[in-house]
Amino acid sequence: MWRLLWADARRDRRQLLIWLVGIALVVAGSAGAVSSEFSSEQARAGLLAVALATPSLLALRGLPNGSGLGALIFFQIFAFVAVVVGLLNTFLATRHGRADEERGRRELVAAAPLRRTAPVTATLIHGTVLNAVVAAVAAGALIVNGLDAVGAAVTGLAVGVTGFVCLGFGLLVNQLTPTSRAANGIGAAFVGSAYAARAAGDALGSPDLANLSLRSAWPSWISPIGWGEQTLAFSDNRLWPLLPGLGLGAATAAAALLVQSRRDIGASLLPERRGPAASGALRGNLALSWRLQWPSLVGWVVAGALLGLLTGGLATAVADATLGNPQITDVLQSLAPGGGGDITGIFIAALIGLVVILAAAAGMQGVLRLRDEEEEGHAELVLATAVRRSTWLLDAVIVAVVSVLLVLAAVGLTASLSFLLNGDRSHARAAVSQAAAGVPAALVFVGLVALLVTVLPRFAVAFGWGLFGVAVAIGLLGALLRLPAAVRNLSPFSHVPTVPIESWTSTLLLLALTVALTALAVVAVRRRELVI
Amino acid sequence: MTGIVDAQRLVKTFGRVRALDGLDLFVQEGEVHGFLGPNGAGKSTTIRVLLGLLRPGGGSVSVVGLDPWRDAVEVHREIGYVPGEVALWPNLSGGEVIDLLTSLRGGADRGLRAELLRDFDLDPRRRARAYSKGNRQKVALVAAFARRARLYILDEPTSGLDPLMESVFRRQIERVRAEGATVLLSSHILSEVEQLCDRITIVRAGVAVETGTLAAMRHLTRTSFRVQTAATAERIADLPGVHDVRRESELLTFDVDTECLAPVLREVALSGVTGLSVAPPSLEDLFLRHYGDSGRPRSRTRV
Repeated sequence: MWRLLWADARRDRRQLLIWLVGIALVVAGSAGAVSSEFSSEQARAGLLAVALATPSLLALRGLPNGSGLGALIFFQIFAFVAVVVGLLNTFLATRHGRADEERGRRELVAAAPLRRTAPVTATLIHGTVLNAVVAAVAAGALIVNGLDAVGAAVTGLAVGVTGFVCLGFGLLVNQLTPTSRAANGIGAAFVGSAYAARAAGDALGSPDLANLSLRSAWPSWISPIGWGEQTLAFSDNRLWPLLPGLGLGAATAAAALLVQSRRDIGASLLPERRGPAASGALRGNLALSWRLQWPSLVGWVVAGALLGLLTGGLATAVADATLGNPQITDVLQSLAPGGGGDITGIFIAALIGLVVILAAAAGMQGVLRLRDEEEEGHAELVLATAVRRSTWLLDAVIVAVVSVLLVLAAVGLTASLSFLLNGDRSHARAAVSQAAAGVPAALVFVGLVALLVTVLPRFAVAFGWGLFGVAVAIGLLGALLRLPAAVRNLSPFSHVPTVPIESWTSTLLLLALTVALTALAVVAVRRRELVI
Repeated sequence: MTGIVDAQRLVKTFGRVRALDGLDLFVQEGEVHGFLGPNGAGKSTTIRVLLGLLRPGGGSVSVVGLDPWRDAVEVHREIGYVPGEVALWPNLSGGEVIDLLTSLRGGADRGLRAELLRDFDLDPRRRARAYSKGNRQKVALVAAFARRARLYILDEPTSGLDPLMESVFRRQIERVRAEGATVLLSSHILSEVEQLCDRITIVRAGVAVETGTLAAMRHLTRTSFRVQTAATAERIADLPGVHDVRRESELLTFDVDTECLAPVLREVALSGVTGLSVAPPSLEDLFLRHYGDSGRPRSRTRV
């Protein structure tokens, strides 16, 4: 069993190192940025006053717990870090769970003289140790910034326990689903709904303006991320809200071990449905590309649509909250990326900006799948038929472009609809044009990975997602971290104009870049061998 | 003379590994051609070059009279292909995979498809991830045979099939041969090649070491004798072309070069024989001569 654990850990070492360094950088970076930007008590109190009056900000950020510097950092970053750590854990559980079983690796291990539960026990220990390390890294990153050690430790524990809940849940899900894809999907949905539940709980909470804190509504209390927030690190430093998380994590892990000890290898609780005896619409390579993409696309589109609905609802709340309060308006305007202008418009730009990132990811997935297809040997089957190499690539690009358009159409239409329901025609129009303005920035990533898959196939997946991660970090945190404009301009996400849109130059340039990248990829793919 | 497959002095290197080292392969239209060699000899690499999936580093290649790298699509229209390792899309059903792959070549023959599904006893509604290795192999075979082709390229097509299914497979080969199609069948199973193939090419370490009809190759091998006799072995052992003489009480065993058979038979007849069995020369011997005598083939990665 210990050998198995060691093998698992070795297999993960690079990947986990990247996650850990990323978490350390995000925590240390945002702690540093918040410390320098809101060094005075007064600035912090001003920000919290706005936040408490603005449910949408509470939903996006977290739970205010006083105007101390540490407390403000906790409010700003905890929920975000908890999501990242949660996903790290559910992915880990699948990687060493259903994915191993699906590929047949588990069978080799199971035939060795080991207990039937050994692989699950190994993953449980692997994940638990990882969460302890994550907790230490997060706490360390805060202490390095000169923050109170007790508060930092509580923050670390809250992050680690949230990770542990997701680990236990992930282990159990892997016992129940027939495929690793389904396990990853349910795991991510669990983390997403934990975030959403606490977003609702915090947005609906009752603010205490005297202490600049908030009493969350009940939805926060059913969320593992909510439990972490309730530690109120740096102000109250409570540890008891972490108990339900420890309990749930342990209970789900125990259930996973129980199921594992009783089930056949390869068996799942959720049955595998039978497929059609003949293909109806599945004829031709484009149909295949679409068939492989749409199941994950549904998730991206639904996420886009939900954020769109949220935009309309929350933007109105922001406007209402700021209406009679010029002081709050001033603060919000100074916080807004473009500065000045219409508060609602800035809010639309910010939320739709998030969906542009989702759309880019959906498009990249559509093209990067080609690399999977090639590695798995599916591409060999297809390319040995009357399908041109360029068609093989372009069909994936077409599906990716459609994916980008669908995700952004979803957010544009639902946001617009939610404004129309409030009788706000001008912002309904603004939402649609904002979504349209984001299309080229997302498409650039489709062109980029098309070229990568063709020219650097073995590195395409790592390079593609790596560049995407850097671009997202620059786009989202560039302003907060006060990066120089030259660096910020490297990210396509920095070039999405905000409503009211005066110049389309940057979007046209991004479109031209996309076309150029794709054209290069097509030229290159004609001269490219199968790379296995 | 032009063949449906004509590869000359093919070279293919992967980094520092030389997978093909001047390989020649000639397949005539209408024949079933065995492509024989141990794992890692370069069979799959050759096949991928023939399909235009890999570009040769040297030499020339034509398939159905075209350059498979430049005219890959035109070449593929004429070909039914079963890869060496069949990987299917895990969440498509077997039936969907068959229809998809045949649609990419222009559509299946409905009657053939139904017949093949029945003969291979394949449930088309199961998802590919639930199929065993043998069933995945059957899906690929049905997809290849369900649309008539001029050339079938089959890379170790019977791996994972049980003997019953192997006989179904052999019937399909007989059918397409009768219809005038050409088959290139790669294998490391000798009996399969002996039963099915008109001509064979033996490949080792990226080079074709032997090519021709089975009958011609048998001249290169030895016939083995097991003789029940009380007579002494010396007279037989002294004849030219007799090898490996062994004696176990009444049983005398030895091998004879094919061209030296006549004097040996005369001597056996005079030796007071009470029992006799003679085994024909087998490909096995040929194979072992190529791989056994000179030690292990040079090591190379499997591609």
